[in-house]
Amino acid sequence: MERLEIEQSKSTPFVRFDPGSGMLEIGGESYPENSHEFFSPVIEWIEQYLSEEEKSLSFIVTLTYMNTSSTKYMIDILDRLEQAHDKGREISIEWYCDGDNEREMDTVEELREDFEMPFEVKTREVE
Amino acid sequence: MESFDLFSLRHTFESQGIMISFNGLFSHSVIEQLGEAVKKHLQSDDAPKDRIKEVFSVFVEQAQNLKNYTTRDDTELPEDKSSHSGTLIIARNNDNYIVSSGNVVRNEDEQLLRERLDPLITADKDALKKMYKKRLREPINENEGAGLGFISMARKATKPLHYSIRRYDDTNSFFTIEVII
Repeated sequence: MERLEIEQSKSTPFVRFDPGSGMLEIGGESYPENSHEFFSPVIEWIEQYLSEEEKSLSFIVTLTYMNTSSTKYMIDILDRLEQAHDKGREISIEWYCDGDNEREMDTVEELREDFEMPFEVKTREVE
Repeated sequence: MESFDLFSLRHTFESQGIMISFNGLFSHSVIEQLGEAVKKHLQSDDAPKDRIKEVFSVFVEQAQNLKNYTTRDDTELPEDKSSHSGTLIIARNNDNYIVSSGNVVRNEDEQLLRERLDPLITADKDALKKMYKKRLREPINENEGAGLGFISMARKATKPLHYSIRRYDDTNSFFTIEVII
C-alpha cells in the first residue's frame, strides 16, 4: 500500500498514514466545506489497510478544532477501529488536547467513554 | 443617490457592542476568512483561550448552517439575492460574547426548526449531553441539516438559546438564532 498524505488547509486537517509503521495521524483544524468529501478517502484508506494488512494501527489525533460534522466522521473512524479491535486487531488511539483547556479535555473524554479499545487522552505542547 | 449613513450604522454597532459583522453570501472562503478574523479579534480583546474556542466553534456552526441552508439545491427560496444571503454578528456584552445570525427560511421549515430548538431551550446540561451523543450516533446523513450543530451551540452557551421566526409573507420567514457564550 502507498502512503496517504493530505496537506493541511485553513479548514481541513493534515492526514498522514504510513502503511509501513501502521501510524495514522490527523491534526489541525477541521471544518471542511464538505465533510463527506474530505473524510471519505481517509475512511476508504483505513478500510483497505485493515483488510489487506494484518499489522497494528495506531491513530494519533492532534486536532485543535473540529466542527460537528467532522466529529461525526471521527466517530465513524473510531467505530471502524473499535470493530477491528473487537476482532483481535492491535489498535491504539492517542488523542492530544490542550492541557490548559478543560473543555477540550472534557469533549474528548466524553468521546472516549463509548470505546473499549486502548484510548489515551494526552496533553499536547502548546506554543 | 443618497449617501450611505455610516455614522448611524457605526453608532448601531457600537451601542450594541458588535465587534464583527457580515451580511451577504456565505461561501466557504468567507467562513474561513471570517473565522480567522474572529480568532484574532478575540485574542486582541484578551479573551481566554478556551472562550475563544467556544466562540469560534459557535461561529463555525452558525456560518455553515447559513451557507448550507441558503445554497441548498432544492431550496425554493425566492430568486432575489437577499434570500440567499445571511447576516451574522459577534458582539460583546460585559463578560459575555454573543454570536447571532439570521437568514430567510421557507415557512414549511418553521415547524422543524421549532421541534429542534424548543427542547434545547429547556434541557439541562445532562439532557443536552444525552441528546448530543444520541444524534452523534445516528447514521451519517449528508443533508441532515442543523440538528447536531444546534445541540453543540446549546452546550457551549452559558444561557438558553434564543431564536425567533418572523413571517415575511405566505412562503418565507426570517429566522434568527442567538447564542450567549
